[in-house]
Amino acid sequence: MIAPSPTVGSGGPALACTRLSKHYGGVRALQGVDWELQPGEVHALCGENGAGKSTLARICAGIAKPDSGEIRLGGRVVAWSGSDEARRSGIGIILQELDLFAHLTVAENVALGNPALEARRWVSFPRLAEAVAPHLREAGVAADPGATLGDLSVSQWQLVAIARVLSLEARVIFMDEPTSALTDDAVERLFAVIARLKARGVAIAYVSHKMSEIFRVCDRISVMRDGEMIGTSRRADTSIEAVIRQMVGRPLEGRRALAPARSGNSVLSARSLSTRKLRGVSFDLADGEILGIAGLVASGRSELGRALFGMTPVTGGTLELAGKPYRPRGVPEALRRGLALVPEDRRRDGLFMRMSIRENTTLADLGRYCRRGFIRRAAESGAARAQLARASARYGDDALPVETLSGGNQQKVLIAKWLLTRPGVCFLDDPTRGIDVGAKDDTYRMIAALAAEGVGVLWVSSELPELIANSHRILVLHEGAPMGVLDSSAATQESVMRLATGHGAR
Amino acid sequence: MSAPVGRNLGSARQAVRPFIGLILVLILGVILSPRGAHGGIVFISAGNLTDILLQQGEIGIMALAMTLVVIAGGIDLSVGSVLAFSASLAGIMLVRWTPGCGPGPQIAATVAAVLVLGAAIGAVNGAIITRLRLQPFVMTLAAMIGVRGLTKWMTGNTNIDFGFDAAASATFSDLFSRKPLIVAIWAVHAVAAHQVLARTVYGRHLRAVGENERAAAFTGLPIRRARTATYVICGAAAALAGLVHAARSHQGNPNDGVAYELDVIAAVVIGGTALSGGQGTILGTVTGTLILGVLTNVLRLRMVDSNVELMVKAVIIIVAVWLQRRDRSPSPT
Repeated sequence: MIAPSPTVGSGGPALACTRLSKHYGGVRALQGVDWELQPGEVHALCGENGAGKSTLARICAGIAKPDSGEIRLGGRVVAWSGSDEARRSGIGIILQELDLFAHLTVAENVALGNPALEARRWVSFPRLAEAVAPHLREAGVAADPGATLGDLSVSQWQLVAIARVLSLEARVIFMDEPTSALTDDAVERLFAVIARLKARGVAIAYVSHKMSEIFRVCDRISVMRDGEMIGTSRRADTSIEAVIRQMVGRPLEGRRALAPARSGNSVLSARSLSTRKLRGVSFDLADGEILGIAGLVASGRSELGRALFGMTPVTGGTLELAGKPYRPRGVPEALRRGLALVPEDRRRDGLFMRMSIRENTTLADLGRYCRRGFIRRAAESGAARAQLARASARYGDDALPVETLSGGNQQKVLIAKWLLTRPGVCFLDDPTRGIDVGAKDDTYRMIAALAAEGVGVLWVSSELPELIANSHRILVLHEGAPMGVLDSSAATQESVMRLATGHGAR
Repeated sequence: MSAPVGRNLGSARQAVRPFIGLILVLILGVILSPRGAHGGIVFISAGNLTDILLQQGEIGIMALAMTLVVIAGGIDLSVGSVLAFSASLAGIMLVRWTPGCGPGPQIAATVAAVLVLGAAIGAVNGAIITRLRLQPFVMTLAAMIGVRGLTKWMTGNTNIDFGFDAAASATFSDLFSRKPLIVAIWAVHAVAAHQVLARTVYGRHLRAVGENERAAAFTGLPIRRARTATYVICGAAAALAGLVHAARSHQGNPNDGVAYELDVIAAVVIGGTALSGGQGTILGTVTGTLILGVLTNVLRLRMVDSNVELMVKAVIIIVAVWLQRRDRSPSPT
């Protein structure tokens, strides 16, 4: 699809780092990293969360300052005073936590910090919209330039962030997990953009956990572990297994053998469930069954979870929970009825970043650990530890703020929080998004363990292979409507994708 | 992971930090204090130090409640007006009202009515903020203006002097202006507020709601109830402070308590509570209140112009908040 990198011009690397080191407090983030990026290449940065990929990208883009070491841009040593200077020198970065502004319009978000587009003291919106339109088109942003960003989906945010970097005419672009919030069709559009940039000689550093993508678009692959650069290889000279081995230092097991669902009892059944964004969704979920939910942007995957959890009004249809009628009225009611929802955006909707790991874990069911209104510290801590262990979260001290953990472990804290409520039905909305390979594997294991205990599990993932491999059945949604339920043993990525794109062969 | 030793040092520094400002101000007080007749340092005499507690009692009690409001992500600008309203209402009920009963029941009824109405004003604030989704700043600004108007209208904009012959008002004034009682009320409420915040489900919910309202909604927390309750508590606390104020000033003055809300918020902020919500401690607020009190005391002992006092206060607020901000370590990754 994407041609191998053209031979590098005489100019040498677009960007070269020598002996870069960085510490945050006592934590080593980077240790003597040597790395270079050639013009016209797509260069993957791989590694588990906390390996130092994001830190390296942030330092190169002037967001963080290295403790020692130097960076050369086109052969010239640079020391950024800040990201603004780096941007003016032609380095663009698309951050994992998108640095966009929800209250501003799409066009304004693209133009912010862009010297060319901000040159005028007075802004004329039509002129601005006109100026950013080509970049929006190139990035595949479907929304109107005048739309307020806050009204758009996470996927559109990501594309806007890409349009913003495109507008900078950057020579070096860092993409930190650019596809983590994208569905497959948007990913394809991104890859097309990458191919065009590459042809123009732009150097692209691609930080990702998704091996299939890396091996599709990248020319070279650098692996990091514990802040160190383990090695760089050409794509042709390595394999997915080899890269993963370098990342984790241990072999990864293959496809999970799921225990069969306990055939009998339905724990949740939906008949023609409708909301503002869902149109007549019906399905049955048995105890011990894992139902994967697939769908593209605006398919209603997350909406389904919110509807079940009473966070969005149900306009039609019926629900039965453990054989009894269920009418979602609000989250407390959903909790009482044994539902749990692990939200998609863990920073925004899930976690209290400055509260401790323990407090985050017990918040949904704190009343249980009280006597006469006072929290019993020992009981609370014991319960938190038990669930954190079940979710295989790794942490030092449960009194530390949850923001001190890596993304994967934050996700596990969030899962532990809902395990604590002993749900009968658990809805996990994209739980593997943006977490490392090891943490993903832990998540699959946890989902299987939950099901083995008799919990009915609904889960969403944007990565079809993992969804198919770790579910009994797949419910495919398209624009809020159910396209079909596939048995995962018979499902293929192609068959799911056909339904998800609305070309159902039913 | 940092080494355990480093972390212990860090947490020790964390524990001492709220007191650094207070210690500095106390040292300053000793240095700047005038000498007494027998060469003693006036500032550290027992009488003077307890005077500071007495003078800060009203602000201190309101600051405790304000801490809860701010932690839950709100603010209450109406406390100064509620204080004046409560003092004036106490004046009306103790001086102008002549029930058939003795002074005891009359005082009890007055205290009860004032506290209930203070809480009711808070309930209105809370209900409008959470139900109509008005910004706390806007709603309590309106309440500040409205309650002040109500107070002036209710009293005909005149002071109600407690006098010395009327049994009820004189007894009330004598009782509620006693130093030990005021300090005890403050201390008991401080301990209670600390317990609520540190050890109860409600306290935990307040911090959660203040830190991330969306996540609180996804967790099914009673967001409205938790928020509304902070305003009810704050209204009642302002009413209690109003009772103390009336007793100490021996009158119900509808024009008192102007800009008290700013002193209260200053005490909370100096104490390290983030105005953005989610974080803060009662210990910090008590310390912040004392810092302001000691400072005022020292400057008055030195006979410093009260206008200069305000300027010094401004500097202290900035320095105190900056000190807390400075060594907030960056988060990893």
